[in-house]
Amino acid sequence: MTHSWTESPAPIDESTMRMGMYEEELRKFNWSLLILEVILFAVGLMNLYSATGVQDKSMGLYKQQLIWFGIGMGITGLVLLVHYSVLSRVAYVIYFANLLLLVAVLVAGKATLGAKRWIGFGGLRIQPSEFMKLSLVICLAKYFENDRTVGGMGFRDIILPTLLAALPAALVMLQPDLGTALIILLTFGTMMLFLKIKPRIILAIAICGAIALPVVYQFGLKPYQRQRIVSFIDPMADPKGSGYNSIQSMIAVGSGQLVGKGYRKGTQSQLNFLPEHHTDFIFSVFSEEWGFVGCMVLVGLYLAFMLNGMSVAYQSHDKFGILLALGIMTIFFWHIFINMGMVMGLLPIVGVPLPFMSYGGSSLMTSLVCVAILTNIANKKFMF
Amino acid sequence: MAFLGQEEQIREFQDRFRYLYAALFIALGILISRMVFLQVLQGDRMREWSEKNRIKRVKVASPRGMIFDRNKTLLIDNRPAFDLEIIPQYLRESKQTQQVVARLSKLIGMPEKEILDTLERARNQPSFMPVKIKTDLTRDEVAKVESWRIDMPGVEVRQEIKRTNVHGEVASHLLGYIGEINSAELPIVNKTSVTKYELGDGIGKFGLEQRLERILRGVDGEELKEVDALGRIKLDSSKGRVPGNMESKPAVPGKNLVLTLDQDLQLAANKAFGDHIGSVVAIDPRSGEILAMLSRPSFDPTEFSRGISPALWNKLLTNPNHPLRDKTLQDHYSPGSTFKVLTAIAGLEEGVIDEKTTFTCTGNMRFGNRTYHCWSKHGHGNMNVVSAITQSCDVFFYKVAQKLKSVDQIAKWSNLLGLGRKTGIDLAREIPGLIPTEEWKRKRFNQPWNDGETLSVAIGQSFVLTTTLQLANAYAAIANGGTLYKPFIVKQTETYEGQVIQQTKPELLSKIDFPARDIALVKQGLWGVVNTPHGTAFHSRLPGMDFAGKTGTAQIIRLSADKLYGKCETWKFADRHNALFAGFAPQENPVIAVAVIVEHGCHGSSAATPIAKAIIKTYLQKYFPDLYGEKVLAARLKELKAATPPKPVKPVQEEAEDIVPENNERLPPATELPPALPPRPAVGPADLPELEE
Repeated sequence: MTHSWTESPAPIDESTMRMGMYEEELRKFNWSLLILEVILFAVGLMNLYSATGVQDKSMGLYKQQLIWFGIGMGITGLVLLVHYSVLSRVAYVIYFANLLLLVAVLVAGKATLGAKRWIGFGGLRIQPSEFMKLSLVICLAKYFENDRTVGGMGFRDIILPTLLAALPAALVMLQPDLGTALIILLTFGTMMLFLKIKPRIILAIAICGAIALPVVYQFGLKPYQRQRIVSFIDPMADPKGSGYNSIQSMIAVGSGQLVGKGYRKGTQSQLNFLPEHHTDFIFSVFSEEWGFVGCMVLVGLYLAFMLNGMSVAYQSHDKFGILLALGIMTIFFWHIFINMGMVMGLLPIVGVPLPFMSYGGSSLMTSLVCVAILTNIANKKFMF
Repeated sequence: MAFLGQEEQIREFQDRFRYLYAALFIALGILISRMVFLQVLQGDRMREWSEKNRIKRVKVASPRGMIFDRNKTLLIDNRPAFDLEIIPQYLRESKQTQQVVARLSKLIGMPEKEILDTLERARNQPSFMPVKIKTDLTRDEVAKVESWRIDMPGVEVRQEIKRTNVHGEVASHLLGYIGEINSAELPIVNKTSVTKYELGDGIGKFGLEQRLERILRGVDGEELKEVDALGRIKLDSSKGRVPGNMESKPAVPGKNLVLTLDQDLQLAANKAFGDHIGSVVAIDPRSGEILAMLSRPSFDPTEFSRGISPALWNKLLTNPNHPLRDKTLQDHYSPGSTFKVLTAIAGLEEGVIDEKTTFTCTGNMRFGNRTYHCWSKHGHGNMNVVSAITQSCDVFFYKVAQKLKSVDQIAKWSNLLGLGRKTGIDLAREIPGLIPTEEWKRKRFNQPWNDGETLSVAIGQSFVLTTTLQLANAYAAIANGGTLYKPFIVKQTETYEGQVIQQTKPELLSKIDFPARDIALVKQGLWGVVNTPHGTAFHSRLPGMDFAGKTGTAQIIRLSADKLYGKCETWKFADRHNALFAGFAPQENPVIAVAVIVEHGCHGSSAATPIAKAIIKTYLQKYFPDLYGEKVLAARLKELKAATPPKPVKPVQEEAEDIVPENNERLPPATELPPALPPRPAVGPADLPELEE
């Protein structure tokens, strides 16, 4: 898969199309993120193969994941053909198109487990909320591209961007998909903090948040979502019920001990004690079978990926590029942190996939496109 | 608001990156610390939990000890049976429950509603506890259920070893039954037992099963099985996945019992007893070993060990003849004429009569202002102690009673022979019977003893009550010349492999130094009952086998004088007399003593004696074939015939009952039953026996 890709004439740009420079371009091409992506995906696929060998609904799903990866790599090639500044031009179009899809999901979506998250496109089922994260980042990068505010944003400066984030977050909440809504808001918040907000505004928001929190908890959350938070605080209160997932996941991770139980020998997942072991709890499967050592390797891979991505943002020569790359890395960061945190009982159970590891076409596709954009940014930095 | 150029702003952005890096490393630090905590620090515990998750400790029920008769014939065995259980926990959604129940209903042929009702009843118990749906599945049903198991989470077939009485309703009361321990018993038994019981465990509830629970019960083992989250046992799980520090524990079987019972004798007694109501006890007079023990009506213990149906249970409870009561030792009766030997012994030992003493029986006797009748209207003429026993002459014993100083003298000798007190057999709820004394009556009724009552006591009436076991044991003591043994039922306990652990030794209760002459007189009288033409049991004699004994007929309700002369067989069943027989064989060096009571059997000689006869015959022929085998017997009879030409025998009156109508105003009897038993039946010796042969 990766091999075929490397042969495609990816880094082509009019400004760089000079004879004799082609090989030079290829040599200077930033492969690091793509390579890390392939490694992470390979680890993920191997792990998924173990997790989906279980005799349940997930059986054989790794094949599906492989197909998604192939499609994603094709899209990556396409993304690399176009300069990322094109995204700046179509940012709002993408954003509103995605918003429309979110509305469509609520109107005509397919329900699984009581939540409407999917929309059918021919034979494909896509999850627009996954793409919304990226769409929002593109939109925000565009919005702040020409912003010249100094000394931090005031109250008026944040109203519009807040609306841009709140709208999709609210739509996703309605599905309901707490995890994705949370990621949208956290990504937005991180970007805003990076862009600098006046301290008193932060303080005001913090106070408002503290007041609003109980109200939102009481009226904004569905009973099952409240239950998740309760069982996060005390999973043992109902170990067979709402605390079950969290406890079983912690047991899975912990029982891996130093070197794990061995590949495809994780009893928690193989015997179905782990819920959703191919999606949200994929990390438990990995930790159980590979132990602390394996986890360190995986964390190392993610760290390398994060550092590489951030350096793309750091080294980008235009504001749009910085904000776009930074926003994308923020999405990755929160996914990794929240997923691992919840799997290990540090955070409440919210449905957040682990990039490259969890099964899910839309999620994988979004990750692959994100990496494609990052690589695009990385390779355009010299051609300014 | 100042505006900056993009380059400046980019530089400012780059400045802020250090915060981002810091945040990234802090977040990673948190995650890694958590991994260290879970996987390194808590790893052992988590691993243990994950093992507990998947390793199910499946209880392996230990086989209960088997029960054999004295010749190692198997009486109670453990046989496999299959039960169907549902663990409600795995039926999380009602739709799933419906599917499973619908499928199951087809497979085991049980209405869906019944299954759902059973599940509903178990609603208040924890959902991980299995609910028994059906017991005793056929092999076919087991195969069907097993093949559909993957589609029926929570459905399990449990193999259980079921207690089976090999011969059905034989000695049911003695052997008893087991049942599931209930929640009320649980805390009580667990206080004293070393290996704890759990709900669902079997426990002896009756008879020996209950009494010797400690010996019969084994120690349950444990088997480790790998299960998935739905509790389904993984069939292909290799042994390597069960960790070494969690070992299976084999079940330790309970100890076997070898009883003193003889199964052939028991079956013979069963057959001879037929559908009568009452009980039989056969004892070895040389040791106190119980050879046969029967109580009727009875029940099938196997029904109990497999979970008795409420309908059947109800039927047993409401049966007026108390099938759940062991009538050999939990019920007492007026001994009637069988008691006369005790009066004779009291008379002989207290010195008021000897072998030369004769009284003339005219058919009745005046005492005080009443007339006491003999069963023979026209009298027996001159009677000595031997002929009085043989012909059951009431007047003779009235006279003995008259001569005795007090009823206490009869009581003394009765007590010495084990009457009026528990024999001490190791069985539950034995009752002591009653031998009245003057003091007893004062205490009980606050009334002085009436001398007329002594006369009634002398012929086994009035307040006298004995159990069948006591009667058999007293006759055993008479048979062996005065040694009273404590009856026992367990000959030895053995390990599962048959190694003897403990052997019961005969235990002496009392040894009476009867003058040989006295015991010979009594035994001679008893021999005459069966073997001389005037004897009341002459019809039941066993030519060539000299067995001895005494018949008895005890009236159970008060009847008007003219009715008493009517034929007992024509009366309402519940009004008919109780028939008794107590005896032993052979006359010299007796090896078996038997007591029989047939409730409402009318006549001791016709209802009870043939049963004793059948038991004695079976026993002698089985254990002494060279003395009593069919061929030996035939040869001896031929010899006898040749030696003494047969005399024409004057037939004995079949049954002639006499009455003692004067005794009508006697006090109600004292019935002292342990409180554990249900109230006394309306029939039985509630009214004083007044009838004699």
